[in-house]
Amino acid sequence: MQTTPIVDVKNLQKIYGAKKEKQYEALTDINFAVAPGEFVGIMGPSGSGKTTLLNLLSTLDVPTAGSVRINNQEVSHLKGKQLADFRAQQVGFIFQDFNLLESLTARENISLPLSLQDVPRSKTVAAVEEVAQTLSIADLLDKYPAELSGGQKQRVAAARALVHHPAIIMGDEPTGALDSKSARELLDLLSNINQQQNVPVLLVTHDPFSASFCDRILFIQDGRIKQELSRQGQARKDFYGQILEQLGTFEQ
Amino acid sequence: MLLKLAITGIKQRFRDYVVLLMGLIISSGIFYIFASLAINTDFIKANSGISIAAQVFMFGMVLLLIITMVYVSYANTFLLSMRQHDYGLFMMLGAKKQNIGVLMVLETILLGGVASIIGIILGIGVSSVLSQFLFNQLGVTIHHFSPIYGPAMIDTLTVYVVLFALAAVLNLSKLMRTPVLKLLHVEDEATNVRVRPVLQALAAVLGIACLAIGYYAMAQIMTLQLTAIPIALVTITLGTYLLFSAIIGGVLTAIRKSRFAAKRLRTFTLAQINFRVRGYTRILTVVSLLFAMALGAISVGAGFQRQIPTMVASISSYTISIKDETPNEAKLAKQLHVKWQKSYQQTIQGDTAYYNEAAFAKQPFPMLANPAAKNDGRVKQFSLPEFKKKAIISSDFLALSPTSNHIRFLNNSDFNNLKGQKHQLTIIRVHSNVQDRKVLEKITASQQRRFHEPFFNLGGGYSGFVLFNNLFGGLEFMGFFLGIAFLAMLASCLMFKILSGANKDVVRYNMLNRIGVSQRLMKQAIWQEVGTLFIIPGVLGIIDVLFGLQMFKPLLYNPYEIVGWTILGFCMLYGLYAWLTISLYRRLVVPPMQLSK
Ligand SMILES: Nc1ncnc2c1ncn2[C@@H]1O[C@H](COP(=O)(O)OP(=O)(O)OP(=O)(O)O)[C@@H](O)[C@H]1O
Ligand SMILES: [Mg+2]
Repeated sequence: MQTTPIVDVKNLQKIYGAKKEKQYEALTDINFAVAPGEFVGIMGPSGSGKTTLLNLLSTLDVPTAGSVRINNQEVSHLKGKQLADFRAQQVGFIFQDFNLLESLTARENISLPLSLQDVPRSKTVAAVEEVAQTLSIADLLDKYPAELSGGQKQRVAAARALVHHPAIIMGDEPTGALDSKSARELLDLLSNINQQQNVPVLLVTHDPFSASFCDRILFIQDGRIKQELSRQGQARKDFYGQILEQLGTFEQ
Repeated sequence: MLLKLAITGIKQRFRDYVVLLMGLIISSGIFYIFASLAINTDFIKANSGISIAAQVFMFGMVLLLIITMVYVSYANTFLLSMRQHDYGLFMMLGAKKQNIGVLMVLETILLGGVASIIGIILGIGVSSVLSQFLFNQLGVTIHHFSPIYGPAMIDTLTVYVVLFALAAVLNLSKLMRTPVLKLLHVEDEATNVRVRPVLQALAAVLGIACLAIGYYAMAQIMTLQLTAIPIALVTITLGTYLLFSAIIGGVLTAIRKSRFAAKRLRTFTLAQINFRVRGYTRILTVVSLLFAMALGAISVGAGFQRQIPTMVASISSYTISIKDETPNEAKLAKQLHVKWQKSYQQTIQGDTAYYNEAAFAKQPFPMLANPAAKNDGRVKQFSLPEFKKKAIISSDFLALSPTSNHIRFLNNSDFNNLKGQKHQLTIIRVHSNVQDRKVLEKITASQQRRFHEPFFNLGGGYSGFVLFNNLFGGLEFMGFFLGIAFLAMLASCLMFKILSGANKDVVRYNMLNRIGVSQRLMKQAIWQEVGTLFIIPGVLGIIDVLFGLQMFKPLLYNPYEIVGWTILGFCMLYGLYAWLTISLYRRLVVPPMQLSK
């Protein structure tokens, strides 16, 4: 059965620096698609263009050329209010540095995407409770970020990314600042949600262990997709081995 | 090596240093301006005409000193927060703590010294322009006033250098006690304090009690005399502070939990305000006091300004009388903006002044309508018989013949046959003494030269105008001058405090941008956030003034007469500052929607 992809990237290019300045081509001719419910990882050495790619997908930056379609919408030309609405409604983003507002409680942080859409209060309360249950942070809701551990903060951030049921979840090294136990918990949660709610996840990571939770991994080097690896029903452990092997060949 | 590091540090945060330096320059400039008035005793003696003026100025000086201390301490906290990270880095790289300490103290004192020297220069400039402007606008003559005043310069420099040295020592001890690692991670501390209802309720009650005492003391200034001022100062400062810390946090938390908050960015904005107001309690207290003082000073200044014409009007129905007008005087009189003009003949024989009845029948003499006690400055033209009765006791009519003991009215032929000294009197009422003051002065001088009369024997409203201007003009000038100076101080205080907090907000608004908050919403949030910071002290300041004006009841007929207009004008100036701050802030804080744009 042919389904339309949630993310469809064609001939994407990004050049940093204005015309007259020193220019740097960070991404060259990137093509790939993400199917509904797919968990896709993006790996590559430092400076290879992972963050750049994710910024283009999440509309934080504009591509030099090429097209990005998300949920059947061309996003590279969005402007102003449409752009803001797109970010607020279609994308759930989890950042490495959590990106929580420290002056708001966990509950208020999580409610923010719903408040932005003027969702009625009773619905907001219910939605926040629900997502908090899923992420087991129900008893932390009235704390401020400063009173939470790194792992807890990241789960709150994940809850904020999920609460409005976005079309896609993106994360730029969301486990980067966590210890291995918290990292594992977060990844378990993400793959659970991915499977249960059929939300596609796009995850940038350095770490082969994190990557082993994915269905498919794109390897980027020098701004190009060099290799693709599919899990194809393997157990996580075996996939992990395969990733390590692949990274080994990259390093040579 | 360290010097090089220090210079790179400054380069990196150039914008913050500019904000800091500008704030300090403005505050020291204002301090200088105030000092140049307050410690210039010759100026105060010569211009106030009221004995308590000197004390009032001294209290003002003390208050300004307290405000300056708050300002400098805040500036130094800001400075330390900027440098902390660098100092930590230097230490990690192996610099000795002592060396860092010396560096820091030098940096701090240098900053204070440079800022105050530039501030004094700025103060001299502003003071000359402002005083010229006020002299022209108010038409007052001020003696012993000079924008360049040595003792004030020395005082300002001393105060700033001493305060900065103190602050440097405090910062130093803080720095020495803090472990290096903590210096490197100062940015991410917890900022939220939990609400403690009992303590806050207590603070609120205490705050209101303090304010009540302060306002009562001011209202009772007649019985308490001078002690009212220090009582009011202490209790109102304390009360405002307590009320701020108690109420605002509680109210905001309550709103945050309500249905209202769940829309768009409201939760965020409320949290921002809450966070700000708590961190700003000290500065907001200062601002509300400054606001009150500025508004109070201007209200009183405007009160005097308004009072002078009323008092002048009640002295005499006419502005000047010109005796035997010369061609030159006639030429001058043509330049006046005349409301009405009459002329009569007068004959002096012995100690009696004679007038022609028929002349007064033909053109009645406008006289003050009511006698002394009920005098409200209204002017009336009476019928001839009534006029003749009233004229012999009317001060404005009697002033036309200052050397005569009697007045008699004769019929036309008797008057024409009378021998004696004949005079032609021209009586003029102008629209505004202020407007015509230069011409009036020339005519009066010429009359004095010709008739060798003492000035106040000339009669007419103009002589009263000169008298009152000497008496009150100084006070009026001080009121306006200080009001505007305080307003500038206030605005610089608040503006720079707000702008210096921009760094932290940059991060927050960046986050908001990433999760899809539109530019419009962010701008709106900034309007609300920064606007509230201006509105709260403004409202408290207005309340302070409404009560504070009680103090001036002994001096002014009705201090509240035009307070509405003063408040309006003041709010417009204040609003302009708020608008400026908000626009600057927005530019600093709201990120572009996309990185490459
Ligand atoms: N704003 C920018 N201006 C110019 N060059 C940039 C900019 N942002 C990134 N680059 C360059 O583009 C390349 C890709 O950067 P990117 O941040 O995407 O790497 P990354 O794969 O995320 O690396 P890491 O794993 O270290 O996070 C790098 O060489 C970087 O120097
Ligand atoms: Mg990156």
